[in-house]
Amino acid sequence: MVIEVEKRGHVTVVSVGGSVDGTTAGELTASLRGQVTGGNHRLVANLAGVDYTSSAGLRALLETVKEARQHGGDLRLAAVRPEVLRVLDLSGFTSILQVFPDVGSAVASFPA
Amino acid sequence: MSVSEGTGGRGSRRIALVIGAGSVKCAAALGLQKVLDREGIGVDLVVGCSGGSIYATFIALGIDVQTAEEITRRLWTSELTKRRHYLSLLRAILPQIFPFRESFGLVDDRLILDRLQIAFGKRTFEDARIPLYLTATDFHNGEQVVFSSGKLVDAIRASIAIPYVFQPWTIDGRLFIDGFLTDPMPVGVAIKHGANVIVTLGFESAYQRRTTSVLRFAFQLSSIMSNNLLRANYAFHNLAHHAEILPIIPQFRESIHLFDTHKIPYVIEEGERAAEQQLPYLRRLLEAPP
Repeated sequence: MVIEVEKRGHVTVVSVGGSVDGTTAGELTASLRGQVTGGNHRLVANLAGVDYTSSAGLRALLETVKEARQHGGDLRLAAVRPEVLRVLDLSGFTSILQVFPDVGSAVASFPA
Repeated sequence: MSVSEGTGGRGSRRIALVIGAGSVKCAAALGLQKVLDREGIGVDLVVGCSGGSIYATFIALGIDVQTAEEITRRLWTSELTKRRHYLSLLRAILPQIFPFRESFGLVDDRLILDRLQIAFGKRTFEDARIPLYLTATDFHNGEQVVFSSGKLVDAIRASIAIPYVFQPWTIDGRLFIDGFLTDPMPVGVAIKHGANVIVTLGFESAYQRRTTSVLRFAFQLSSIMSNNLLRANYAFHNLAHHAEILPIIPQFRESIHLFDTHKIPYVIEEGERAAEQQLPYLRRLLEAPP
């Protein structure tokens, strides 16, 4: 799994690559939690490089959403591939998470 | 060759297959079975619901893919719905003369029963090589019922008692209707029986393009409810438990109708393709330390 973090104004973009599953979810959770505890509550997960997600991956995302929202922020998803989007959709994630076609629009969705 | 019972040496991993409702689309399970056979991945338990109960039973009994495909072609044809259950019709439209009864179903079920008897005979759950669980719904209280003992034909007939089409099925004085009414993809049964790696094969019901009859209207309502139930239950099981759930979601480019048995080879092919997409992760998961 590849995780890269960059700041875009007041939003933190976490770009993830590879498979988000039971063998990698811990690493992703730690990275996202690190951002939230470090005060970066406005997060965009760029999932353009994610080709697979399992239930463990979904739980990692949900955990971060809860923590970010508890701090007044949010985790928003960008550039989700169709095969991953199908799983997000089936598991109800698209009804509770904001999903954007690209990173730019996800970043712009946060108020200035 | 057939899916083998759980392999040793993978620590605390306990693999379940859950084959959900989906009529003839459930034959995609044979594609999944092919992949598991080829890769030598054994499973510890099998769960089936509605149409999926037939394929779960094939797998649990150790019936190979080719034989299962041949049985399916003979079992699941459009003739099944040709003979109407006229008394049910009369009970629906003239209840003052023919009092309505809860054993309502528009199709005479003798043919499906005969065919299930030919396919599974007097075999019971105890004949299964892999522990098998089939789900139905208690007609009177709406609860999910999980069969794990008794005659396979009885449990399958209860599990496929499609509302309005086949009459509910009585076992030991209890009336059962299709398992999809409580959970179209019963992942919870696998979790309850200790599975922590759950391979699921499930389908959303197709919506009617045109609602031209009362029956189609009823089917449309049923599809809306079952699809929402599928998503709600799937979300809950994904997020509320520690189990890893690997969804196999075949993408059918062609529309598959209830009795499109001529499309079974295509359905199996798509099941195989979808299963292969999950394979890299399934392998990694089984190789990783528990």
